[in-house]
Amino acid sequence: MSTTLDPVQTQAAANGAAGNGVHPAPAYEPNMVLATRAYDVVGTRPVRHDGADKVTGRALYGADKQMAGLLQGFVLRSPHAHAKIVSIDTSKAEALDGVFAVVTADDLPPAKDKIVDVGEGDTRLAYVHGNVLAKGKTLYKGHAVAAVAATNVHVAEQAAKLIDVKYATLGSSMTAPEAMSSGAALLHDDLKTMEYGQPTDKASNVAQHFQWKIGDSDEGFAKADVVVERTFDTATVHQGYIEPHNATALWNNDGRVHIWTSTQGAFVVRDVTATILEIPVSQIKVTPMEIGGGFGGKIPVYLEPVAALLSKKTGRPVKLVMTRADVLEGTGPTPGSHVSVKIGAVNGGKITAMQGNLAYEAGAYPGSFVAPGGMCIFAAYACENVTVDCYDVVVNKPSSAAYRAPGATQAAFAAEQVIDEIAGKLGIDPIDFRLQNAAKEGSRRVDGPKFRRIGCVEVLEAMQRHPHYGAPLAGPNCGRGVAVGFWFNVGLESSCTLSVNSDGTVNLIEGSTDIGGTRTSIAMQAAEVLGIPAEDINPQVVDTDSVGYTSVTGGSRTTFATGWAAHDAAQKIVDEMKVRAAKLLEADAAGVTHEKGVYSAAGKSVSFREIAAQASRTGGPISASATVKPRGVGGSYAGNIVDVAVDPETGKVDILRFTAVQDVGKAVHPSYVEGQMQGGSAQGIGWALNEEYFMGADGGMQNNTLLDYRMPTALDLPMIDTCIVEVANPGHPYGVRGVGEANIVPPPAAIANAIQNAVGRRLQRLPMNPPAVWQAVANGN
Amino acid sequence: MFAPEFSYHRASSIAEAGRLLAEHPGAKVLAGGHSLIPILKLRLAAPAVVIDIGRIPEMKGIAAGNGTVTIGALTTHAELASSEIVRANARALAEAAAQIGDPAVRNRGTIGGNVAHADPASDLPQALVALGATFRLTSPEGARSVAAEDFFEGLMTTSLREDELLTSIELPAAGPGRGSAYAKLAHPASRYAVIGAAASVTVAGGKCTAASVVLGGLTSRPTRAPSVEASLVGQTPSEAVIAAAAKNAAGDLGDDLMGDIYASEEYRKAVAHVWVRRALAAAAARCAG
Repeated sequence: MSTTLDPVQTQAAANGAAGNGVHPAPAYEPNMVLATRAYDVVGTRPVRHDGADKVTGRALYGADKQMAGLLQGFVLRSPHAHAKIVSIDTSKAEALDGVFAVVTADDLPPAKDKIVDVGEGDTRLAYVHGNVLAKGKTLYKGHAVAAVAATNVHVAEQAAKLIDVKYATLGSSMTAPEAMSSGAALLHDDLKTMEYGQPTDKASNVAQHFQWKIGDSDEGFAKADVVVERTFDTATVHQGYIEPHNATALWNNDGRVHIWTSTQGAFVVRDVTATILEIPVSQIKVTPMEIGGGFGGKIPVYLEPVAALLSKKTGRPVKLVMTRADVLEGTGPTPGSHVSVKIGAVNGGKITAMQGNLAYEAGAYPGSFVAPGGMCIFAAYACENVTVDCYDVVVNKPSSAAYRAPGATQAAFAAEQVIDEIAGKLGIDPIDFRLQNAAKEGSRRVDGPKFRRIGCVEVLEAMQRHPHYGAPLAGPNCGRGVAVGFWFNVGLESSCTLSVNSDGTVNLIEGSTDIGGTRTSIAMQAAEVLGIPAEDINPQVVDTDSVGYTSVTGGSRTTFATGWAAHDAAQKIVDEMKVRAAKLLEADAAGVTHEKGVYSAAGKSVSFREIAAQASRTGGPISASATVKPRGVGGSYAGNIVDVAVDPETGKVDILRFTAVQDVGKAVHPSYVEGQMQGGSAQGIGWALNEEYFMGADGGMQNNTLLDYRMPTALDLPMIDTCIVEVANPGHPYGVRGVGEANIVPPPAAIANAIQNAVGRRLQRLPMNPPAVWQAVANGN
Repeated sequence: MFAPEFSYHRASSIAEAGRLLAEHPGAKVLAGGHSLIPILKLRLAAPAVVIDIGRIPEMKGIAAGNGTVTIGALTTHAELASSEIVRANARALAEAAAQIGDPAVRNRGTIGGNVAHADPASDLPQALVALGATFRLTSPEGARSVAAEDFFEGLMTTSLREDELLTSIELPAAGPGRGSAYAKLAHPASRYAVIGAAASVTVAGGKCTAASVVLGGLTSRPTRAPSVEASLVGQTPSEAVIAAAAKNAAGDLGDDLMGDIYASEEYRKAVAHVWVRRALAAAAARCAG
């Protein structure tokens, strides 16, 4: 399925070697770039460790949690987009037979004025509080107002209806342009715009406005022979994980709280819940259950503190499970956006200036991921004059959450279309134009940092060389489009413990929720060091009491960072095995060498398995832990080539062929890398062609079921061909960059460019559904 | 979301179903459950009693004889789509059934449940009207037959009385020179018809002698397109003639058009002719003669 391109690898080798020395040395071997070395395990495709559980349906998800005395809960949600809560009377609900407790925001300790880390960034504690249970005001339809625990979900639901909430409805602000206009209904009385990082007295829905600038854009535009400026809008869409949010909590008599939940970050759930409930983190144990998709949306805490409060009040375990409508109306969609892009270039193709203006809808509370959008919007280009303005705007929609490269897809939808248009005006092939201006090692991103070794050029070259790019198009109203996108990836913190069993296998304990096959990709990195098969490692994702601190599974970091922790722990095991081997071989430990699981000294050797069997005789159990906080994060570029057929009579767009290219640094398990590339592409296609929150006049979501909210299924998608590019990340032992996110960035822009090339219409709003495309064709745009 | 609580009865014969219906006014009938269960889960209905007719043997099966095709009301969409009898005699019905929902829906959903529910975005009603179907309705008082065209009265309303059960559907068997087809624009999530066009065409001596064109999805009940039909009859059904005839569809739809958040009235009206044209072209191509 994948094409690995030799010239890229060659180049990667050359550059990788040159990249040494700049990065902090890991605890053991020097930080070598090994990505182009031949490996025994890394780069192979072993069967996933959790495969049997998953395909037999035995894997346990949050909704499967059962225990004696379990109560079921139900969350009452606001029917209004914006309303003052005048009063809440829970007495009728509490009086209903079978009801054990009702909680509201009044049951939470008052929110202190402090900043908390919520997994992929910081925010005010009051906002986290307010989103968990509305205090004083509801800010979107679906905002949690109260919760009930009862003998079963039917009684709980019935009781919730008996809660008498008196609302005074308020005017609402539903989109970024609307919320930014003068006279807009304000969501937060105490929200004052932070302007260029400085607090102001301006009460507004704009939480932040900031600007990044390099060079002088005006000067750059003055030099340009061609300038194109356009404005783009994208609709609010949801991450669309199939498993709804859930949480079961038991507040024990000894004050210890145990939470079972579906989350991308058990430690984040622990820490945020502890902060909200004002109890020490050590009093909470979070057990991450299997996860049915997250894509960033399962980082925020919604149900866990509520379930814990209900358990505290009732003295019994309480389970909360969201309905689909709860998920769509009450959990983080990705921001709708309003983005203007202006780019100028001279004849011959050099870009002289780039300017972006991004306003993203944060939803009810500040934090729209407009900042990463602004950092990524022109990250594929080296340009001396760039200005980017970002506006983080609160609106009466659910509080937005991360979604796969959060903020970058909206930005690329705008920038990559303008890039294509300029290339067309200059008569330059769109990939040539991008290559001519591509960011490289040393190019400066608008927000400051200079790129280390990156694979933007290699991705573009792989696209250009791919047979798809030169293939003939199918017929009339068919078009081909390309686009590229960037995502930083993150490092954060990870822990891992390895314990050697007497049969020569190894238990691997880690704390990273496995969403995309990371048990295996982490185990493989340990196996590579130990010189044993991946199948001999038994990876387990455990609760927060049982492993060192581990940050969220997000930012494409898990294979990169937790894999690195496994690598480092394995190095410690190897060192200990050398000591044991020395005893068995009656040699000096310093003279023992290790290769592929065989330990040798003085002409004799002993295998990993033999040492494991003799561990008790040679000094006892063999176990090692390692933690990492890597800095050598490697950003990833992705590119798409897309062929579409547009039916001009109906506006229907069919994708005929789709090729996803991505620089992944090193594909540890190529099947899962391909899966990530295909998954991100599928979500990008859905975002491009159909997904949309239809908001009614009442500010509520009109299509809050999967009968009406459209995500692509296998029936809608073409085969998504993958092309893995490996430009080693010099900051990782195996050259890994991370693969989970950049792949969702280019699809909407690439499809829009393909539609333009098919029927000569540039779509400036997502989604590009049949009515929208038909309208564009019929009206000339 | 869970369905509201209800009491459940299973009928083992048409007669027992009739008795149960008489005993429990306001009860809902459960066949394949693919209309009823979503309605219950979305809390659009909360019947006290649900009567399961899904295992009544006399309501199953497809048979042909005496110039008629008889389809038991419990026949699933998958059975319709794959039935040689239906494909040979009523291709539009097989095509419409094949395009409903997804395999799980087609394996459970039934023709009887589908038409009794009378969802305007459904597929089978327009195919059945175009094919001249007759519905057999039974109650403890006796049985009666209603033409498909008269059965559908409006948005989710039919001429089926509360004590009646739809037991079977009859279609005229294929005649010489007759062909039919179904074409639709599916809603991308639910796959319900945004526009569904059913056409039945008879050709003799190279000329169209009869045409039946019925649209659904964009009107509250299946809507015949008489001016499309009229402009075809007497003509050679060439590509150009069909395209010109199909263009008349918008005029036949009246002001009863439905729009929704996905597709506006304007859009549906403007593109309806495309699906009429596609259905007519496929039907005409199947007219041997």
